[in-house]
Amino acid sequence: MEQDVQLVQQCLQGDGSAWEELVRQHNRRVFNICYRFTGNRTEAEDLTQDVFLRIYKTLGSYRAIHGGFATWMTSVTRNLLIDHYRRTKRDRATDSLDDAMPVVENKESSAKRPDEQALLGELSGQVQTALTKLSPELREAVILRDLQQLEYGEIQKVLAVPEGTVKSRINRGRIELARILQQMGVRPA
Amino acid sequence: MNWTCEQTELRLSDYLDGLLTAAEQKEFDAHVNSCARCTPLVSSVTQALSGLHSLAQVEPPPRLVYNILDKTLGPRETVTGWKAILAWFRAFNPQRLAYGGVSLCAMFLVFASFTGFSWKKPRAADLSPVNVYRGADRQAHLVYARSAKFVSDLRVVYEIQSRLQRTEDLPGSQDSTAPQPAPSDKNPGSTDGSGPASPKQQNRANDLASHSIVLAAACPSCWEGRIR
Repeated sequence: MEQDVQLVQQCLQGDGSAWEELVRQHNRRVFNICYRFTGNRTEAEDLTQDVFLRIYKTLGSYRAIHGGFATWMTSVTRNLLIDHYRRTKRDRATDSLDDAMPVVENKESSAKRPDEQALLGELSGQVQTALTKLSPELREAVILRDLQQLEYGEIQKVLAVPEGTVKSRINRGRIELARILQQMGVRPA
Repeated sequence: MNWTCEQTELRLSDYLDGLLTAAEQKEFDAHVNSCARCTPLVSSVTQALSGLHSLAQVEPPPRLVYNILDKTLGPRETVTGWKAILAWFRAFNPQRLAYGGVSLCAMFLVFASFTGFSWKKPRAADLSPVNVYRGADRQAHLVYARSAKFVSDLRVVYEIQSRLQRTEDLPGSQDSTAPQPAPSDKNPGSTDGSGPASPKQQNRANDLASHSIVLAAACPSCWEGRIR
């Protein structure tokens, strides 16, 4: 954490190698959040680039006293993912299922190429598909808690909502995910 | 307090994250075990959670870092001409190059010595492939012959040792197997010949005599050479 703060300071002084080090350290984490959110590698790659571009431009606004660099970076990632979701939702032709099932998104873009599906394990592929069918609010909460292993306090900072809301979203997200998996034919062992 | 299905649903994450108190946990378990609606709910959410935890980290494409750096810091400078050649040489680590050179020289010295290259009177002919091959072949045979002789010598020594050991282990072997020394006035082991030797000295002398005879039997030529 202190190393990140030091690297940020060096970046702000114009040190290119410090920025490169930050990118190398954190690109995997950002890419994974984007991939789990979109379920698409190409989209995740583009979004990761956009995230780092935004971080590079707004690095001066980072304050270490407000939390760790990783939390701030996750917050930027989350905001950009939500922007992207809203933008693509407008572009997409939505059907009535959105209104009928407000929690579950019928996300056509989550359909993966056959080679991508083959790369994923059977259960992993089903879980990823189910994850992309969750509403963005529940999806981001579940990703941050159960995939990124963030504490409730950190998620609260990233999502900028009260802790009770965080807990509620995680709980609903898990239950909803289990329900979607059941609909997909995945039965408890 | 009666635990309800709504409570189970609301506190499910607390249960899964181990955040329930002991009393709550007890009531939760009691309710879930007896409720036909909550049992499959808890089971399916537990399975979904384990499925989430089993999702492996995805490796980003290797070009991602370079793409980000290009977008933020700008495209990297491409060097051409002499500068590119100099940069190529600069990329080599001089320390590693030095280690490599020293290792190569050491290997050459060892190999040259092995093939019989004379460092006192070096000749260009010694470095011709035919001579190098002959030298290496001769050295290899020499090493093989020396090794074979060494092994053979070791075998003889172990043979003698094992025979001596066997002689010592046999009860009454000194009297029955070993030939008796020629009768003499002087007992072996006695120092002055005036009196009989002590039992300890006598035994040691007898041992030496029997060992000499066994050695003579095992290696007659060596033994005779020594005696003569």
